[in-house]
Amino acid sequence: MTRLRIDRAGPLVSLQDPGRFGMLSHGISASGPMDTKSFARAGRWAGASDASGVEFTMAGLDLTVLDGETFAGWDGGGFTIGLNGELLDWPGQTRLVAGDRLTISAGPYGNYGYLRFGGRLEVKPVLGSIATSTRARLGGLSGKTLAAGDELVLEGEGGEPQAPEPIAVDEGPIRFVWGLHAEMFSPDVRQAFVAAEFRTTPTMDRMGVRLGDPGGVFANEKILSLVSDPVVSGDIQILGDGTPIVLMRDHQPTGGYPRIGTVISVDLSRFAQIRPNRAVSFTPVSLANAHRILRSQLP
Amino acid sequence: MMSIAPTRRMIVPMGDCGILVRFAAQLDEAANAAAIAFADTLLASPPAGVEEVVPSLVSVFLRYDPLHTDFDTVCGELRLQLTGQHSARAPDTHTIGIIFGGSDGPDLAEVAGALALDPASFIARHNAAPLRVLATGFAPGFVYCGFHPDDLILPRRQNVRPMVPAGSVLFAAGQTAIAATDIPTGWHVIGRTDFRNFDARTDPPTQLRAGDFLTFEAR
Repeated sequence: MTRLRIDRAGPLVSLQDPGRFGMLSHGISASGPMDTKSFARAGRWAGASDASGVEFTMAGLDLTVLDGETFAGWDGGGFTIGLNGELLDWPGQTRLVAGDRLTISAGPYGNYGYLRFGGRLEVKPVLGSIATSTRARLGGLSGKTLAAGDELVLEGEGGEPQAPEPIAVDEGPIRFVWGLHAEMFSPDVRQAFVAAEFRTTPTMDRMGVRLGDPGGVFANEKILSLVSDPVVSGDIQILGDGTPIVLMRDHQPTGGYPRIGTVISVDLSRFAQIRPNRAVSFTPVSLANAHRILRSQLP
Repeated sequence: MMSIAPTRRMIVPMGDCGILVRFAAQLDEAANAAAIAFADTLLASPPAGVEEVVPSLVSVFLRYDPLHTDFDTVCGELRLQLTGQHSARAPDTHTIGIIFGGSDGPDLAEVAGALALDPASFIARHNAAPLRVLATGFAPGFVYCGFHPDDLILPRRQNVRPMVPAGSVLFAAGQTAIAATDIPTGWHVIGRTDFRNFDARTDPPTQLRAGDFLTFEAR
């Protein structure tokens, strides 16, 4: 058995696994890692024996190994990581033993990082998943984000830790599929949407990322009274005041604002890592192309 | 059994893992019943590669695994199914006890007044006939029920209440809704129930399903 104690947790540090799927009709979106690709890679670095991991935000976290030992791996964003005061590579891996103190703090880029372990996390799943839903307050430790003093218990040894190949960072526009309400926007607005530059804003969390629209693409879009339909991660929704929001993993299960398109699965992870006040633009892809991209990026 | 008028429906992608089948752009009884019946049909025999079927007010959402199927294949299957008849499962009937008014329903008097009724008459009218669950899932365990007759239709409040407690019974737009968790709402709060349509310790976590009938009973 390995016991870890969280000594410091930045905002919104949470336990995640791939997500709690199949619960939309009960009012719960799936949650899961904001950057699923980095989450998977952290698991390979760690030789993870289960699907669990810790997601942290820009401020990072510190933890101490109270008992036992385990392998640990980390990936996602660009953070600064130290073991007992000595800097380690990011992304990377190490063996942790009793008394070790791991410190993770802000680095040069990205919003979300992942820490995963070889051992199996002892947390009771809720509705089939340990993923923390900040909206429904389910999963994790009593539905809460992690805080100083929380302890994590791991059982057993992990598999073989690996060193995944570095991934090329794609800097291009965020790719999306036209969708549900695209036809409700005029051709001019649709054209302006793909030509314009938007900005991420500090109003971002696991539910959604609010965008600045300096070009006023949606400035004249009056609130439309729409009947509510189900919502998916990556939906680009335009609020009544013209503010675009990209809905993220803890999205509301249904919504009545018009959605011009949906970010493709592969790019939602990349979008989640864009820090506040950065330029972002969108480009449409066909559904067939989205599927080709998805298949080409399988681990 | 019902057929679905083909002119009112559309099938659209929602990202690269989702499909929405929509029966109308506006909420009405026929579109809602069509969506629920079609969802029941799909739940009974989901197309290959489909992992989740979610009925909503006038639409059905399907989540599929693009590594095992694709949009065109699922759409083909959906079009075939849409041409057939859909029989919704036999609905359950539930009785929900409500305490109307007072601190449990701070908007009751205003709602009754706006409909030119006294509160007792409003309650009698509200509970006069069973309502159907139109959709679930706006929040954990949240249900929309309808429809009330035209002379009980009232728009939403001007202001959104930042939080109303779990069990709040909400009223607006010809519908009554029940909140199973604390939520913000712009609907009128007319009462409260001890019934909680959400329990994370059970799977499935909710008891009410779209298409079920609810009888409200003043307690």
